[in-house]
Parts: sequence; C-alpha cells; structure tokens
Amino acid sequence: MAKRISVLDRERCMGCYSCVYACSRTWGRVAGIEKAALRIKSYSGAEGFFSIRVCSGCEDPDCAKACPTGALRPSKRGFGVDLEKKLCNACGSCVSSCISMALQWDEEDKLPVPCRHCGVCASFCPRGVLGMEEVERA
Amino acid sequence: MSFRMLSVNLSTGKVEFEDVSDLFSKYIGGTGVLSYLALKDLREDLDPVSPESPIYFGIGPFNGYYPSASKAVAIFKSPLTGNLGESHAGGRFFMAMASAGIHVLRIVGKASCPVYLSIKDEEVKIIPCSSLWGKTATATERILREIEGTKRGKESILRIGPAGERLSRIACVTVDSSRHFGRHGLGAIMGSKNLKAIVISGNRTLRISNWSEYQKLYKEIFDILAYSEVSLKYRDLGTASNVIPLSNTHSLPTRNFSQGFFEGADGISGEHFADEYLVKQIACAHCPIGCIHMGQLREMFAEPHLFRTVRTSYDYEPIFALGSNLGVSKAEEVLRLLSYVERQGWDVMSIGVTLAWATEAFQRGLINTTHTNGLVLSFGDAQTYLKVLGNISKGATEFYRDLERGLGFCVQKYGGEEFAITFGGVESPGYMTGPAAFVGFAVGVRHSHLDCAGYSVDQEFFGKASDPYVEVEKLYKESLWRMVTNSLVTCLFARGGYTMPLVLRGLRVLGVEETEESLMRKARIIHGMKYLLKEKLGFSFDSLKLPEKLTRVYTGRGLVSHKDFDDRVKLYKDKIKEDMAFAQEELKA
Repeated sequence: MAKRISVLDRERCMGCYSCVYACSRTWGRVAGIEKAALRIKSYSGAEGFFSIRVCSGCEDPDCAKACPTGALRPSKRGFGVDLEKKLCNACGSCVSSCISMALQWDEEDKLPVPCRHCGVCASFCPRGVLGMEEVERA
Repeated sequence: MSFRMLSVNLSTGKVEFEDVSDLFSKYIGGTGVLSYLALKDLREDLDPVSPESPIYFGIGPFNGYYPSASKAVAIFKSPLTGNLGESHAGGRFFMAMASAGIHVLRIVGKASCPVYLSIKDEEVKIIPCSSLWGKTATATERILREIEGTKRGKESILRIGPAGERLSRIACVTVDSSRHFGRHGLGAIMGSKNLKAIVISGNRTLRISNWSEYQKLYKEIFDILAYSEVSLKYRDLGTASNVIPLSNTHSLPTRNFSQGFFEGADGISGEHFADEYLVKQIACAHCPIGCIHMGQLREMFAEPHLFRTVRTSYDYEPIFALGSNLGVSKAEEVLRLLSYVERQGWDVMSIGVTLAWATEAFQRGLINTTHTNGLVLSFGDAQTYLKVLGNISKGATEFYRDLERGLGFCVQKYGGEEFAITFGGVESPGYMTGPAAFVGFAVGVRHSHLDCAGYSVDQEFFGKASDPYVEVEKLYKESLWRMVTNSLVTCLFARGGYTMPLVLRGLRVLGVEETEESLMRKARIIHGMKYLLKEKLGFSFDSLKLPEKLTRVYTGRGLVSHKDFDDRVKLYKDKIKEDMAFAQEELKA
C-alpha cells in the first residue's frame, strides 16, 4: 500500500495557502509559493470558493503521455509521475495537458514540479482539508 | 536581504526601480521605511488630491517568510484630515509585492485618462481602462481577474469604486475579495490620479539561507497561530464576537454614541451572524488564522420569486458602524447596507459614523427635509439609510455630496460639533470602553483603535480605580511595539504569537541581527518620525479635544471628563516629545 495526497474536505478550505507555502519551503527550499506542486485557486470576488488543485495521482497520467522526451514518467509507486530533470526540454506540454491544472511549472528553473505525495502540505493545513489516503498499487 | 522600490509616475509614464536596502536596515521595513519617505516628501502645502501627492505602499522583512505576516502598509497625505494618512490591508497584496521583488511601491502623477497599473515582475504597464470608470469595486475585480488572472491565484487586485472616482474624502481602496485600505481616504488619491486599479504579481523566489532553522521556527510560529488560544477568537466567530460583551459593558456605540448598551445587540451579534448568515471563513494569503467571515443574504428582489444572493465580509467595525450606531438591529439589514458600501468603495466606519451624526443633526433641526430631498432620517430605519447611500452615490443634493466629504467637513458647514464623534479629524472607531480608548484614538498615530489598543487597557481596568500614569504608559508601550510589528509587517491578529523573542529569532534566521535594545531603538525613531511628520502637517496634541457628547455618556468605565482626557493626553504628549527629539537627533546623525 502507498499513500496519495487527497482532498478530504474541500468545504473547510479558507484559502490561506499554508499548504502551498509548505510544499515550496520544504522541497523548493524557498519561501513563497513559486516551487510548490499544488495551488489553491479561488473563484473571483467575495462570492468565490476555493478549488484545491493537487496531483490526482493518475494511474495513466496525461502529463507523462504528453512528455515528448520521456522526462516525465509514471511513478514506480503506481500513481503520479517522476521527473528526470536531465531529459526535460522545458516544452511545457506536461503542464498544459493536466486538465485540472494541478501540475505546476517552476518559472525559475523552467521545469515542471511533480507532486511527491509526501504529505507535507497536509501537515500544514490548519483545517484538515488535505490528507493522505491509502491506495492500492496498480 | 535586499529591498527594492518601484516608482511610477502616471503623468510621464516613467518607471524606476531602485535599491532601498539601506532604508530597510535603518527602519526595519513597512511602516518604518514609509514613514521615513513620507517625512521627506509630504508638506503642509501639498494638496492630497493633486498629481504631486505620492502614494506609498510597503511591505517588510517578514512578508512572504512567516505566517500571518500578511499585511501591507499604505502611507499618504490624507485627503480626509490633511495629516498623515496610514492604512493597512491584508489579502494577497503583500504576497504579490514580495514575489515581484517590490518592497516599496511609490506612485505619483496623474494619468491623462482612466488607467490601471499592471505589474508583473519587471514588466510595468499603465493600461487605459475607460470602460472600467464608473464600475463598482466588486465588478472591477471580476473583470480584472478575468483579464489578468492568468497567474493561478498569485495576482493581487487593488481598486477603487465610484466613491474614489468622485474623490470622496472617505473612499477606500479594496484589496482582492474583501480586504481594504479603509481609513483616511486613500481611494480619493487614486481617483485623483485617474488610477482605477493596480494588478500585481511576480514569480520571484525568496531565498532561505538557514533552511533547517527556518523550518523549525516556522513550525513553531505556525502552531501558535493556527491552533493556540491567541488566535481562537478570530478563527471562531471573528471580531464580531465583540458585539455582546461590549454591549453588556456599556461599550458598544449606539445611536451616534448616545449609549453603550444596545437593546438590539442580539440581532447583530457575532453568534447571530454565524448562525444565520455565515457561509464561509476565508484567510489572507499565508495566514492560518482565517479571520475573514463572509455573510450571505438571500432576498427576493422582484416578483415572481426572483432572488439574488449577496455576499459580503463582515467584522465588528462594520457591524458597529452600520448596526448599533445607526440603531439598526437586524443582521440582514447590516449586510444589505454593507454590501452597498462595499460596491461604492467607502470606508465603512467613516460613512457609518457620518450617517449617525446626520441623523442626530436632523433630529436636532440642523438639517431638514430640504437638505435630504424629503427623506426623514431616523435611527433604526435601514431602508431610508439605503436610500441615503443611493442619494450620496448620485450626488442628489449638495447635502448628500457633502456627506461623503467626511464628518469634519460637514460639521464646519452645518454645525453640530458637540455630537460629531471624530478624533484627529477621523470618524471614531467603535469602542466606548472608557478613557483609555478615547485617549488612544486621539493621540494615536492613525487615530485608530489599532494604534495603542486603549479598549483593552480599559477592559483591564473595568471595575478598578483609574491609574492614568500606568494606563498611559501601557498605551505608549503598545504603540511603540506596534512600530515593530507594523514594520515587519505582521497582522495585529497574530500579535499574541509574535513576541519579542520570536521576532528576534525570526530576524536572525533571515540574517538580520538585532537585540531587544537595537530593535526598540528603531521603534522609537519610527515613532518619533511619525509625530515629526504629523506636526509638520499641522497636528498638535494641544488641540486634541474629547467630543463634548462623550463627556455625558456612560462608558464601560463610567463618565469621562474633559480634565481626565486632557491630563492623559498631556502625559502621552510628554512621552512622544522625547521620541520626537530622539528621532530628530538620529536623523541628523
């Protein structure tokens, strides 16, 4: 069994971005949100709600299929993707192929930021929106 | 750490970046750096709504790095008072500034047609937007987020509503969904510059030199703010939780500060709002507290069964200003008025306190139905208040046009000074807790309840004998400490977490070495600079007066006399004079 990041309770999200900051800080080693593998998207205006765009951990990921160089490949975990940086030609096809807009782009390094499903985002969510979910390996 | 200032001249289109790291090392950041710049720039003969009048926005060293360092500061010459204008707002603005690598944004000049300022990292554009002129603050955000919102939740949008376009002296600037640079009329300055909005975003990363220490400290601060007692009130009912306790202690301004007990408090309490109208709690970016409470109103606006839903963020201050102080006791009516104010873009506290004065002026015969175009102003009559707001928006009569010039202006023209509740020319905040609150509003750098938290000093002394020396000392110390937090720039709701030891550690991890002494020294310089600036612009402690009416109302601590007020102001003045002298010496050096 492996664990996958998951949106457990979207309703509780208040859009504080603590998860995004946690990912960027932990894996990108920068403050801010630039190197995070997820985003919180708010619908415009006071009337808006929040949509949590985390990696869905697809078994047959579109992002990997879109990669022309084989840099992004389905992960050995059985879900999600791994990146081999050396092979990446920074074409960005992976990011645009992720229809739920979960896969992020590192503007500084010109690389996609695949989610590691480590759960650090969930550990900094003050309201229990995100959590780790057990999944069967394919 | 290095810090940059972006200067934009809307008249010439000139855009300039400069390194201002030395200012941040001297004055910390945020309010400290901006006060220094404003002290150099603002003059008594400067017209706040002229092209030369500058707007400064600023953030500090903690923004982007630590949780709940989620505010930005604006400093300008107030169109309302002619004195130091300062207002703070949350939302995402600080985050967008930090990721664009802009720590101070200075705007001068006047565009030749309506424009908005678009900033993406180094790319700065002044974009004509005639079609946005006249649009509400809410519609403007919707449109700009659509056209500029390609950054996946990173951009911040500041804009004015029609009130700012009309140069209303009490117009605010709205930030993102529901935060505001509310006080002192910043919206009028943007309007005078033909500047409808600012959209800002960036892609910069903020480096961390000492990563493992940073991670450890971050978690410590995060846990305090997200889970401990110090932020519980804001996470639960929000500031609206103040309504009942304040009413129960005769401290909730009711019907233009006639009394502190509101018989209708239950109908506008934080509990009632939560039970019936709260639909969402939201947070500023990078803040685990999440104090923003969105209320929703569902109403039938036409036959047959045509409904609309209106969502507006509420807080204690709007509830006092449009609720108890107008005698309005229904939450839904408060929301209805609030949503109108939100769309027009007035400072809700200023407009509410002005309407309360207008009602009393009407009842005393200073104004009549000729002024009001036939409307009869009565406390509690929310439907009429809504019409009044509509008439102000339309500029229906001279009287209505005057109302949005602020209470100080109205009093000069129509009289009624003895029941005009202003401090330092600013419409009063909503606390009638006692002398410490009133003195705090009067002497504070912003004439705000947020300057020195007099209401909490009063609450500490409820039922106890007064001790002016001790109380004034507390006000002063709080104001001084807030020079530090407002320079960093952390949110005041996180003040329980950001204690001196944590602030020092936070700075150290970012590579800034300070001691308690060195930091407080800077705080005194900043404090002193602010009052040097205030006096330069015409402020004087000696002319501060307790509004006459407030000597006759029972506050949380009973009656407050002119003498008690004046004595405390004098004590405070003595302390400030020392800071001013200290700052003057330091500036010479």
